[in-house]
Amino acid sequence: MSAQHMICMHNVCKSYKMGSEQLRVLKNVDFTVNKGEFTAILGPSGSGKSTLMNIIGCMDNLDSGSYELNGIPIHRTKEKELARIRNHEIGFIFQNYHLIPTYNVMQNIIMPLLMRGQDRKTAERNCREIISMLGLSDRLAHKPSELSGGQRQRVAIARALCSKPSLLLADEPTGALDQSSGAEVLALFKKLHEMGNTIVMITHDMNVAKWAHRTVDLIDGELIQ
Amino acid sequence: MRFTQILDLVRINLIQNKFKVLLTSIGIIVGAATIVCVIAIGRGGQADVAEQFRNLNAGAMDISCEQPQKGSSSRGANAAGASVRSASNTAKKTDPSASKQSGRSEKNVSGYPAELGGNTQTKSTRRITLSVDDMDDITSAVAGLSEATITYTTKQNIYGGNIEDTESYTVAGTLSDYARLSNLSMLFGDYLSDADNENKQKVCVLGYSAAKKIFGSADQAYDSLVYIADRPYTVGGVLAQQGTVESGISADEAIFIPYATGIKYLTGSNISPTITIIASDVDNISSIIDNVKAVLAQSYPDAEFTISDAGSKMEAANKSNRTLTLMLIAMACIVFIIGGIGIMNVLFVSVKERTEEIGILKAIGGSKKVILLEFIMEACCISLIGGLLGVLLSFAVTPVLTGFGLRMELSVTGALIALGFCIVTGTVFGFYPAWKASRLVPVEALSSE
Repeated sequence: MSAQHMICMHNVCKSYKMGSEQLRVLKNVDFTVNKGEFTAILGPSGSGKSTLMNIIGCMDNLDSGSYELNGIPIHRTKEKELARIRNHEIGFIFQNYHLIPTYNVMQNIIMPLLMRGQDRKTAERNCREIISMLGLSDRLAHKPSELSGGQRQRVAIARALCSKPSLLLADEPTGALDQSSGAEVLALFKKLHEMGNTIVMITHDMNVAKWAHRTVDLIDGELIQ
Repeated sequence: MRFTQILDLVRINLIQNKFKVLLTSIGIIVGAATIVCVIAIGRGGQADVAEQFRNLNAGAMDISCEQPQKGSSSRGANAAGASVRSASNTAKKTDPSASKQSGRSEKNVSGYPAELGGNTQTKSTRRITLSVDDMDDITSAVAGLSEATITYTTKQNIYGGNIEDTESYTVAGTLSDYARLSNLSMLFGDYLSDADNENKQKVCVLGYSAAKKIFGSADQAYDSLVYIADRPYTVGGVLAQQGTVESGISADEAIFIPYATGIKYLTGSNISPTITIIASDVDNISSIIDNVKAVLAQSYPDAEFTISDAGSKMEAANKSNRTLTLMLIAMACIVFIIGGIGIMNVLFVSVKERTEEIGILKAIGGSKKVILLEFIMEACCISLIGGLLGVLLSFAVTPVLTGFGLRMELSVTGALIALGFCIVTGTVFGFYPAWKASRLVPVEALSSE
């Protein structure tokens, strides 16, 4: 693995049992992402994009092959350490935002820092700059249900950014947004990339993928570089 | 994640679901209230027992003769012998202090002494009357006794004071040492003296309640006259209030007269006295009982005597109180188990409802430990809230139960025990749902919606 590589996957396979059949979702995937890259994984529905993202995000294990993130062999890492890696190295941005409905905006944003053991006040102080960059300063006491789709996604992005991860993982980040909100979020991604963040974005939309620095196609579980 | 922050998350979740928390904790509320009440009832019971036996000396033993039994047909020399001895005893006792003329006697139903026509008499109809002589026999023959006294009670019609018609009261014939042996204290005047007994004086001492009922108040009763079976008795003293007693004469309600006076003017020899002896060492009670039986068996070979010691009575009363308390605690435990199962059910539903949230927490780095702790603490907090409400409920319920005559003594210990039970219930029953939540695979939890 090169020092430049943040993600280095080799021969990764993943299959699920569907009734009596074994469904091969990822087939011998080789995939690398360099530090500072903005990569889009483009593929139609059912091509295995989300499975690949879950494996990259250390939320699912692989059947065979190897996966290293920042030089850490994820395929051999225990759950406790994976939780730590998810907290420190990865910032997730989901299509459906996945905000906790009972917590307000601030509580949602600082949650990864609280998980890390920071006290509430320090965590809030550390997030202030990001919150202001994303224009959420006047929405901090609101519950997610009181926000628009674009605002919710910005909260999710703020949550992903506040822990200063080495990798931002976005799964269809504009999938639930209208066109203008989607464009706004993508512009934000571009800006984050220019700030030096490494971003891997999964999408089925060619127009969204265009925003990325590099696009790879995933078709029927096979990655075409 | 810090413990205080997990608590903060729990707080937010509980505030968001106030009504659900209240419904979930109903079982615990009832359980905690039950525990507090049970402990209060137990303490009340203990206090009751302590109060009822307050006037009893732990080393005291009451000796009385059992009621004649039917069915036995033995007759003969023993009975006659006892009577002869009785007669000789009576003859022998010339001591004027004797009140002791009340001597030991056995009578048959027909009223003829056994030695005259006694061969037709059966044990079943024989009546044995304990006497001062028997008491003297016991005190001289049995070692380890510090004191002894003899008493009897009779129901007599009374008038005087505020009583317009006659009223029936318990009149107790006692010796002068009865007050000391029974730990009775005087409010006015003095207790009966030896001289009163020897001279068969018509004096009496009134129990506190009796004095109030007959004369309106204790001080008005003192030095007044009260008529017992149409004879005037001077009230020489009034007892201080004693409270209820489990054993012996209920002092508050009784009228005390000299032993010999009662026999002369009220009862004749038709009495069933009880001899009370005090063991100098409580540990020797069982051997003393055996010795007393042996002494009495010499005088009355066929007779059955009941010897009850105060310590055993206290122990029996405490034991029955403990049994009741244990039964109630068992009931409270069942309520707690039901409450705990309620919590477990609700937490299972909660884990199901919040699977996505668990997935999110895991995706952003929440470990199994954090999820486990959050759910367990949530269960504990629900239980604790239930416990606090339960304790408040018990405070509200206590006056109602007390109104029904149940003695309850609320205590901080009771409340703390109830809260302890709540925390244990929450932890035990909350653990499994929490463990299930912590084991969820992040990707599956996230896609659960």
